[in-house]
Amino acid sequence: METINKKLGLYIHIPFCKSKCHYCDFYSLTDYNDKFKKLYIDSLLLHMEDYARSAKPYTIDTIYIGGGTPSSLPCNDLLDLIDGIYFNFNVSADAEFTIEVNPGTADHSTFKKLFKSGVNRISFGMQSSCDNELQALARIHNFEDFENSYEAARRAGFENINIDVMFGIPEQTPSSLRTTLERICALEPEHISLYGLKIEENTPFAQIIDSLNLPEEDEEVNMYFESVKYLELQGYEQYEISNFSKSGKQCLHNLKYWNCEDYLGLGPSAHSYYNGYRFSFKTDVEMYIEALKNVDQDFDIIDEYYEISVSERIGEYIMLRMRLNEGINTDKFFELFGLEFDKLYGKYMDNYKNEGYIIKKGKNYSFTVHGMYLSNYILASMLDFDEKSVSKILNGVN
Amino acid sequence: MSERQSHIRNFSIIAHIDHGKSTLADRLLETTHTVESREMEEQLLDNMDLERERGITIKARAVNVKYTAADGETYSFNLIDTPGHVDFNYEVSRSLNACEGALLVVDATQGIEAQTLANAYLAIENDLEIVPVINKIDLISADVERVRTEIEDIVGIPAENCPAVSAKLGLNIESVLEHIVRDIPAPSGDENAPLKCLIFDSYYDSYLGVVVYIKVIDGTVKPGDNILMMNTDKTFQVVDVGVMAPFGLNRTDKLSAGDVGYLTASIKNVSDTRVGDTITTAENGLKIPLPGFKKVVPMVFSGIYPLDGAKYGDLRDALEKLQLNDAALSFEAETSAALGFGFRCGFLGLLHMEVIQQRLEREFNLDLITTAPSVIYKITKRNGETIFIDNPVHYPSPDEIETATEPIVKANILTPVEYVGSIMELCQERRGIHKDMKYLDSNRTELHYELPLNEIIYDFFDALKSRSKGYASLDYELFEYRPSKLVKLDILLNGDLVDALSFIVHEEKAYSRGRKIAEKLKENISRQLFEVPIQAAIGGKIIARETVKALRKDVLAKCYGGDITRKKKLLEKQKEGKKKMRQLGSVEITPETFMSVLKLDE
Repeated sequence: METINKKLGLYIHIPFCKSKCHYCDFYSLTDYNDKFKKLYIDSLLLHMEDYARSAKPYTIDTIYIGGGTPSSLPCNDLLDLIDGIYFNFNVSADAEFTIEVNPGTADHSTFKKLFKSGVNRISFGMQSSCDNELQALARIHNFEDFENSYEAARRAGFENINIDVMFGIPEQTPSSLRTTLERICALEPEHISLYGLKIEENTPFAQIIDSLNLPEEDEEVNMYFESVKYLELQGYEQYEISNFSKSGKQCLHNLKYWNCEDYLGLGPSAHSYYNGYRFSFKTDVEMYIEALKNVDQDFDIIDEYYEISVSERIGEYIMLRMRLNEGINTDKFFELFGLEFDKLYGKYMDNYKNEGYIIKKGKNYSFTVHGMYLSNYILASMLDFDEKSVSKILNGVN
Repeated sequence: MSERQSHIRNFSIIAHIDHGKSTLADRLLETTHTVESREMEEQLLDNMDLERERGITIKARAVNVKYTAADGETYSFNLIDTPGHVDFNYEVSRSLNACEGALLVVDATQGIEAQTLANAYLAIENDLEIVPVINKIDLISADVERVRTEIEDIVGIPAENCPAVSAKLGLNIESVLEHIVRDIPAPSGDENAPLKCLIFDSYYDSYLGVVVYIKVIDGTVKPGDNILMMNTDKTFQVVDVGVMAPFGLNRTDKLSAGDVGYLTASIKNVSDTRVGDTITTAENGLKIPLPGFKKVVPMVFSGIYPLDGAKYGDLRDALEKLQLNDAALSFEAETSAALGFGFRCGFLGLLHMEVIQQRLEREFNLDLITTAPSVIYKITKRNGETIFIDNPVHYPSPDEIETATEPIVKANILTPVEYVGSIMELCQERRGIHKDMKYLDSNRTELHYELPLNEIIYDFFDALKSRSKGYASLDYELFEYRPSKLVKLDILLNGDLVDALSFIVHEEKAYSRGRKIAEKLKENISRQLFEVPIQAAIGGKIIARETVKALRKDVLAKCYGGDITRKKKLLEKQKEGKKKMRQLGSVEITPETFMSVLKLDE
């Protein structure tokens, strides 16, 4: 018998938005009606039913409904979906249950219903408190909409709220970013995510990149460092490159990604790390619906299904754990992989330590704040995911 | 002229680039049923991928075609395809020498252009009968009458009745064939005189040895004959003779005066069969070879290194293979502190260099790093010793040098009158000495300059083309070595000298060149975790400085949901890029960085 104390995170993707923001490259669609959305929820329910059996040994301790804009679903559909989750899976009583909400897409009564149904954390896609910046991003809300939504959520009882903020966006200046941070800190959310804008291919921003009034790189980098300092002064501890929280209010669901723990992601484009395999579902909502309606017809909606070898897991673990301020604990590393981190990577770590990008506290290696902002460069110079290179490193150890 | 000779026509097709030379050749082969349409491949004669792609012919080639004309007689055509670039001018002139006539293809929409003229003049110099062919008459903007007038006025040959065709659609191709029969003279030459053959090309075949392309001018050659290469003074016994078919060789009993064909003689080395050499019989042969022979020597040198040091052996094998077919390519091993083990290679010119590089990369799958091209400098040292330097790394220190000399070429530039001013300016900038200027007609001018070769090998050709809207053409030959104020310019990255980036330059040019290279490097060196100063220096003196700012941001801020795969792929891609980097002291640079300094857009 499998023990029931294996933990699992559950992610559900809602690929619908009222309109598409100019920087966004997540899978979301704008031109489907409520009837279609209902069909989609039915498919998710069927999909959960499919997984209910294999997920039996797991206790779900984090749930995250993201998108897209989950709050763009009719409230009843959202509640059906939530009921489905509880019906199909063992959800622990103290599970963290987050739902993403865009300002202006949920009112007080919706928040109340959500709160009553078990949701206990709201993540607001606010991005900026300056309306000209919001406009440049093609967000459909203004700051006042956000303030109203935030207040409605608080009133409905939510005691764990995240606010997304972006920096390095068009029209932004160091002082406008500071204003945004001051305004949200005044609201005292439990959690703040601070993302640097990255212009992704195949987004409207990529097309017009030359005409965007973006901050200079140096300015942008300084925005980051200044913001980290400011948020810390306001009592928000940085625990990951882009994430800050009041003590004890870290996002447990996202931590699963960074800890290489198990999670199941349902919906088109959702990713999973489940029973030792990484996979995702194809980015095609219509195919997804068809496939779940006609299970006998053998639609192949799984994409990139592969087992994670030990060498890959080591690489992933380092890549992901190093995003965290806690970094890598060498004892924990030995416990997980039976290998001594120092022997494998100590040489690299020491080099970067001398240059001020890495710090070692006790048995933990982690990036300094400057190192974090160069983490790709540094990790690319030391990490390998393929079997051959890793076995070379391992042999070097023995 | 014998009866046999009266049924032979030897001709080339010459044209400005893209005027349809190769398409017309294809169509001639098809119309005479030399090649059936189903076997047809575009640009059949250009069988190197590179040639098809760039629409240029790099090696000369020949094909024999049988044609039954309107007069009921069957003629034997030898179509000789010629290269079309100044690097290969010598080869072109030898190929034309094997012909009695040339088809001058002119685009009905474009009219006469630079290479039309340059090629026409080359044909006229070689006493060829020129048959103009106006091509692309199917295009809406075709203006056949205007082009006829242009041919008469500018080239100065009658064009009233010349064929107007569409090679693409196969329109009027018969009329071209009839003009060949009627207008191009049959070869003459005495079958009974001592053997006199012109070598116009050769290639190495692993079964046959070297296959030599020849035009028999006098006499007869057949298997078993003992022959002498008059300039290289090598003798061989003929194994086989014959004519060139589109897909191989057709053996014949003999080749006689007027014939174009091939011979094989168990020759191991293409360097024994130099283009332009004369073949005669080993006994009782000619006393004086054909005029015009030149031993082609490399004039431009550059270091070629494998990107992956472990591929050094593969690179050597590849160069050896290419050399089998290319007597003008030279190479010898060299090492660089920056780039490791590689070869110093010698080329005819920049195009030749580019062609060799691309063939190494494509046909042999090698990733290469190439250093800036150099010419050969002749240095007399204070101790009386004379040395030749083709690699800037070996340039002696200034206090050892008595005199430094550099190669000077005689350059011939043909241009429409309106561009004379800007071309003279260009030559001036490149330290040219103006010799004279001739008006060929009311529109065209010929400029004569003496130019240092090292000024030409960078991007002179491109600059010439851009200043003349593509109309000017260039031809040059080595003239002499002349004393010059040369200096060696070094590049330092983060304080360390990078030997592969050193080059030799005229004193007056050193500052601007140093500055440009430093700027170019700044654009191309990816940012490191620390600031990288780039310095250009002569001796110990810094003449230019740029700085690559330290990298401050290289991070994936977003978490992309649980899409770990995407993060991993990004890192792996970055890792791949890093693997290609070369570590120069403390600085990592991409192979492209070396190439970037070769194109300074002056």
